Amino acid sequence: MRKSILDSSRVNAEKIFNNRFYILLTILLLLVFLILVRLYYLQVISYDHFDTLSETNRIKYVQTSPRRGIIFDRNNLVLADNSSLYSAQINIKEATNIKKIIEDVDREINLTKKEIENFYEKKIKYAHLNNIVLKGNLSEEEVAKILSIRYKHDGLDVTASLLRRYPYKKITSHVIGSIGYIDKKDLLNLDKKKYRNTEYIGKTGIEKFYEDTLYGVPGYRHVEINAKGRELRDIEKKPAFPGDDIYLTIDINLQKYMYSLLSGYVGSSIAMNPKNGEILGMISTPAIDPNRKLWKYEIDQDEIKKLNSPLFNRSINGLYSPGSTIKPIVALSGMHHEVINSLDEYYAGPFFQLPTSSRRFRDWKPEGHGMVDIKKSIIQSCDVYFYMVANKLGIEKLSSFFKYFSFGSKTGIDMPNESAGVLPSKEWKFKNIGYKWTDGDTVISGIGQGYFLTTPLQLVYAASIIANKGTISIPKLNINSKPKKNTEILKIEEFLKNNISLEDWNLINDAMFKVVNKKNGTAYWSTNNKKNNIAGKTGTVQVYEISQDDDRKDDKEIPDHLKDHSLYIGYAPADKPEIVVATVIENVGSGSKYAAPISNKIINYYLDNVRNNFE
Amino acid sequence: MNRDNLIGLTDLLLFIFIVILSLVGLAILYSATNQNLDIVLRQSFRLLFCFVLMLSICFIDTNKLKIFTPYIYIASILLLLFTLFWGHDSKGATRWIILFGFSFQVSEILKIILPMTLAWYLSISDDKEIDIKKLFFSLIIIFLPIVFILKQPDLGTSLIVLICGMITLFLSGLKTKHISFIVISFLTIAPLLWKFLLLPYQKQRILTLIDPGSDPLGSGYHIIQSKIAVGSGGFFGKGFLNGTQSQLEFLPERGTDFIFAVFAEEFGFFGVIILFLFYSIIIFRFILITLRAKSYFAKTLSGSITSIFILLIITNISMAIGVLPVVGVTLPLLSLGGSSLLSIFFAFGIMFSIARRS
Repeated sequence: MRKSILDSSRVNAEKIFNNRFYILLTILLLLVFLILVRLYYLQVISYDHFDTLSETNRIKYVQTSPRRGIIFDRNNLVLADNSSLYSAQINIKEATNIKKIIEDVDREINLTKKEIENFYEKKIKYAHLNNIVLKGNLSEEEVAKILSIRYKHDGLDVTASLLRRYPYKKITSHVIGSIGYIDKKDLLNLDKKKYRNTEYIGKTGIEKFYEDTLYGVPGYRHVEINAKGRELRDIEKKPAFPGDDIYLTIDINLQKYMYSLLSGYVGSSIAMNPKNGEILGMISTPAIDPNRKLWKYEIDQDEIKKLNSPLFNRSINGLYSPGSTIKPIVALSGMHHEVINSLDEYYAGPFFQLPTSSRRFRDWKPEGHGMVDIKKSIIQSCDVYFYMVANKLGIEKLSSFFKYFSFGSKTGIDMPNESAGVLPSKEWKFKNIGYKWTDGDTVISGIGQGYFLTTPLQLVYAASIIANKGTISIPKLNINSKPKKNTEILKIEEFLKNNISLEDWNLINDAMFKVVNKKNGTAYWSTNNKKNNIAGKTGTVQVYEISQDDDRKDDKEIPDHLKDHSLYIGYAPADKPEIVVATVIENVGSGSKYAAPISNKIINYYLDNVRNNFE
Repeated sequence: MNRDNLIGLTDLLLFIFIVILSLVGLAILYSATNQNLDIVLRQSFRLLFCFVLMLSICFIDTNKLKIFTPYIYIASILLLLFTLFWGHDSKGATRWIILFGFSFQVSEILKIILPMTLAWYLSISDDKEIDIKKLFFSLIIIFLPIVFILKQPDLGTSLIVLICGMITLFLSGLKTKHISFIVISFLTIAPLLWKFLLLPYQKQRILTLIDPGSDPLGSGYHIIQSKIAVGSGGFFGKGFLNGTQSQLEFLPERGTDFIFAVFAEEFGFFGVIILFLFYSIIIFRFILITLRAKSYFAKTLSGSITSIFILLIITNISMAIGVLPVVGVTLPLLSLGGSSLLSIFFAFGIMFSIARRS
């Protein structure tokens, strides 16, 4: 009985068990079925989707930057090229123990405290980046040492990046300009696709103007990467096409010589071939070494403060009153408008006065020049004569004549951000100063003072037109560029050739020749070498206005920043010019003492050494 | 029938498929570890050890096993306590102890020992009906180890162990009203558990399951990469050692939690079907052993083992295809790891032992 109850209980329990077992198995099998459906969905139906995801996961598109074009001077000497800069960097996303890596690297190549501090600073500042530079500009020995410990650390690597090298440093810094990190401002105007993965872009000078030529065409690589982002192998690649090289019109020997003459001064000097507009040398001082700019990523602000705006390119952006260098053009204008002629003489006393005013416009020569004609007043730079000419012409005629020599507009040189200067005019003064034009303003325009600002480039351009007797050559730096004269330039050229007589041109040329070669010429003492037949014109620009009754103070009593700017334009040989030079030196004194000797040395150096060398 | 045979002729089939799946496991491990022969070799030694253990248990009489059960349970509770105090930390949790030079995760083996203990407890009295008193003690048996596992903390394993215990209770004929009571009380305290018991990372794991895109590089990364691996395998797979997701290390925890994703990527849907067939053969043999089991203890235990075996497979694969949160359940026979392997082969040993007695 007991056994049967037990048996029935057992049978009952077994029945319940089997029942429950089947229920559970059914539920579990149902789940297995659902999993299979899900797997079918993932692997068969959504295969394309996940396949794409998997491919994009593992394949990275890397754009390779092209090699930047090299810049040469006219004799194929390298002015800017590329070398590799090796730097040790740490991938902060991949590195497991950054402190340990730095300790190990320090043991190998001795990092400075500052380098380590900089790294941690940058790590915080550029947390969005993967790679942070620990030490840049490694020597070959340092590269080898780091490579020897690289295997120990994930994330430590040595990378090579483009380094632009400017072998002539300060000497070419303003002409060539430099490249720099692409910043937000650059991003606004550039083709982002083309510059993907590129760090640098031309910022100033030739580097900027010919950016498209120098940059080249980027290539690409499809690289397989692992989950940590490490590149494993190239799947497909197209090499980058290097940028075109550029040959400049600059003669580096002349440039070097020009720099040696100007260094120590603040100013600019430009030498140009008037026959074809080729810029032979172009200096702006002070300058800083562009190589340092790159390596330190930014310029030392203290050094900039110490120097007088070393980044400012005075050659194309420095604005100076032309001073007496404008006198040959005023004389041409006067002859053209027939207010003066070569035969008339005029009494030039110590000052000029307008009939309506008591104001005295003084001559630089306290006792005056006495009886003068056009030639004499150019040779001796007689102010009173040109006050008279300007007054007779009036500002409209004067101003529109200045336009023929590019004043007030850009010359069209192949450099970025050229300044146009200021042409003296009623409209300009009223708009910018807020006062009405006075006759006095006209008078001082006659000696290149007042509301009249030009760049050294405009001066050399104007001088080349005088030297060429009306033929215009547009200044250029790229030897292969062929600047086109637009219709306006062609119209001007036609005017200068047809409406200004050859006699007038010859008169001016002769006068300028005598400035340098006649004993009482203002630039006679500026050079002993007279065999190159230099013609020129000095200019001394007052930085502050001397009160009309005040006698001129001795140079030594005037503080430096109020001293006169020294200017000079010159060309040679006078009868068949091959070189034109314009020089501006800030706050030193008269044109005949500084700018003239420097310019004439440049002219002689070119004609005696440089030109002869390549003939 | 065929009692004199080593493991019984009918279960030679079972034995062969265990061997086959173990070899498949070694092969896929070789791929998942980027052809690291060292790891594969170590896993092979573990497997050899486990086969020895399995065959030893196979010779133990089921009745003897039943007698040992309470002692095994107490020993494992003590080991859990030992783990809490002297275990070593890994990823913020204390789950491991060193036994005879091997690191060992005690909570793994409880997936088998807990059902075994319950089967023993419910079979000692003649009356097989589960009254309130039996239910009470059963729940104590279940929750005692779970509290310690929760303390480690290891919520995933706690839940799995709990479910393993519940499966045994369910198979043993837990009354419907008790089942409803347990389900209702669980549903009531679940929100409280969410609020007070779950750690932020555990909540995150569950939340990312709902929307893995919310944190694609953090907790969602595992799920996204695993789904990409499985999906990009397609119908025939990328081929052995050619899975880019695994070879290029996009897939995390490739050897353990996500070994299935490695398999699915390299062998595709077709390979998965074959894998399921292999597992099905083992499960089919298990079901037969369960149905033929003579004693109540043997029946309950083998039924539980069968169900748990299926459950572990489902859980692991669900993790890999993004339908369950990452709870750290390994794929039986394929995943790397000593403790889970040991518990699975312990279960196999028991199944062979039961098979020999039927």
